[in-house]
Amino acid sequence: MNEKLIQIISKVMNVPSTEINDESGPLNIENWTSFNSYVLLYGLENGFNVKFTMEEAMDVKNVADIKRHLKNHGIQFD
Amino acid sequence: MVKENSLQYFLTKANEIEKRHFSKQVKIGILSSFTINGLPETIRVKCSDNDIECKYYIGGYDQYSQEIISKNSELYKFSPDLVFLLLDVRSIFGDIFHDPYSLSSDDRKSILSKKLEETENLVDTFSKNSNSKFIISNLVIPTFSSFGINETKLDFGFQEMILKFNSNLISAFRNKNNVFVYDFNSFSSKYGQKNIFDFKNFLFGDIQISFDYIPYLANELISYVNALLGLTKKCIVLDLDDTLWGGIVGEEGFENIKLGPEPPGNAFLEFQKTLNALKQRGIILAINSKNNLDDALQVIKEHPYMVLRESDFSCMKINWNDKVENMKEISQELNIGLDSMVFFDDDKVNCEYMTLSLPQVKVVNLSGDPSYFAEILQDMNDFDSLKITDEDLNRTQMYSEQLKRDELKNSNISMDDFLKNLNMDITIKQSNNFTIPRISQLTLKTNQFNLTTKRYQEEEIRKLTDDKNFLVGCAQVQDKFGDNGITGVFIVDKHNSEEWFLDSFLLSCRIMGREIEKAILNYIIDQAKKNNVKKIVAKYVPTQKNKPVESFLPKCGFSQSGDKWVYDVNNSLKLPDFLSVTVENE
Repeated sequence: MNEKLIQIISKVMNVPSTEINDESGPLNIENWTSFNSYVLLYGLENGFNVKFTMEEAMDVKNVADIKRHLKNHGIQFD
Repeated sequence: MVKENSLQYFLTKANEIEKRHFSKQVKIGILSSFTINGLPETIRVKCSDNDIECKYYIGGYDQYSQEIISKNSELYKFSPDLVFLLLDVRSIFGDIFHDPYSLSSDDRKSILSKKLEETENLVDTFSKNSNSKFIISNLVIPTFSSFGINETKLDFGFQEMILKFNSNLISAFRNKNNVFVYDFNSFSSKYGQKNIFDFKNFLFGDIQISFDYIPYLANELISYVNALLGLTKKCIVLDLDDTLWGGIVGEEGFENIKLGPEPPGNAFLEFQKTLNALKQRGIILAINSKNNLDDALQVIKEHPYMVLRESDFSCMKINWNDKVENMKEISQELNIGLDSMVFFDDDKVNCEYMTLSLPQVKVVNLSGDPSYFAEILQDMNDFDSLKITDEDLNRTQMYSEQLKRDELKNSNISMDDFLKNLNMDITIKQSNNFTIPRISQLTLKTNQFNLTTKRYQEEEIRKLTDDKNFLVGCAQVQDKFGDNGITGVFIVDKHNSEEWFLDSFLLSCRIMGREIEKAILNYIIDQAKKNNVKKIVAKYVPTQKNKPVESFLPKCGFSQSGDKWVYDVNNSLKLPDFLSVTVENE
């Protein structure tokens, strides 16, 4: 699951997957623009077959937040 | 529905477009009252796949009025060829969107007039500041009404108000050549407002088009790019068995093929009717089929439910020859380049073979369910042009007349006798309001007999016509089979009073090989003599397609001087005696 998540982020933000960790977010990834964050959420919704609420979507500040919300939707990370 | 790739696919690919040589370039501006990120990137990728380099400028979010009003805006600095303005009903009508019925119907009417006037003024301002084509969207009709089922009982209800806005937009710009109304509402109904508009996306980021549908919107907008660049398909070439009718006539027999008002034959009827509609707007139809000629002709001529008859096809290759060879012959006989042709066939192998042998031809594979054939054809955006001319509407007739001319050509007579027999009448016409649209269209579309292949939009021809330093004209060709319409164009640059320069010289492919070019050139020489001009200078600018015009200059007595060709006006050009020439308004 972790790998799938990293892959989606890497593709949307156009950065190598090795550069992505829990702290990655708009502050340290240049391509993490507000538009790309919409594209990312959309990619995650399709990729994991979930629907985020608006509050969850707005709460995302980094990869750790994404994992937390995905867990709430029943996606397991080791 | 033809399935599109995801937006992510296009965003990734947009980063990978390499710098290389593209055969065409286009600069587009995109303005919008809502978030349209992703759309320009998708358009750029799709253009690049079609060998078009697309540069774009995106207006600031909801800044379109400022960008249009300010003469120094980044939009104008970018000098676009095409500008799209996508509007949404919320931003145009503000609070009225949510409570239209706090106002009287008279108030709603006056607000509508005001909004329309503002919109028209904005577009007029743009046209004054730029030569670019301007494409303005209409508004998506809201589906919600607080009055529910009684919305349609109201006097000038909100939905009616937006319908009125849309219809007035059409009438306001119908006769403005630079302005096009894009039917955004129709896009929304085609794919469904419930699919396209997602409240969370809208509330979160003012995203009014779901990411999945941006590639479909890109396709619709690219129709304008293709039309502007003259990348229009002109001819549809069709297989017969399992394409125009169901079953194989040679195997199953005339009575048993599937074609008629009942299923499954009605799928083919529907497909033929759509083809017929395209034919009526000027698309040429042709047949390329492996079949017994007699079997096939019996269906075409006698089947009670055949929509398309012999006269609807400008060329028929029904034989057992190689389909690729047939295709080349169709291209030659119709004088239409292979890259202006679309080929429909149900056989995957044929399609593959055609694609590999003639990659210029667009191949559409009809191996699936015939129920969707009509839809596949309707979804193609390859047939658009920015101007409909009388020639478009009469084209099939002209090509059928061409068929008769070619039959004459095939009989055993000499070329001169053949041309004599045609009783050609050539009328040289000046560029004026009646001829300008066609002159521009010919410069945009003609590839083969085109000396310099300079492309001119209508406005540019209009400017040249008004310029005393240019001579712009055209030639209309009639013969015993009918009127070919305006099929020749010339533009002469007269800045130098001693030497005139042949800026453009072209003939439509359907009248090539008849020495008409000499009649037109002779007229230019006459004009030069009258103005005491000593020389006519010309340049042949080779392209991949204009080989047919290569020998034109030396054949007419021009002599080479460096990279130019010079004609001494004291010489006289011998005009073939089978050409009769009239000059209009002289």
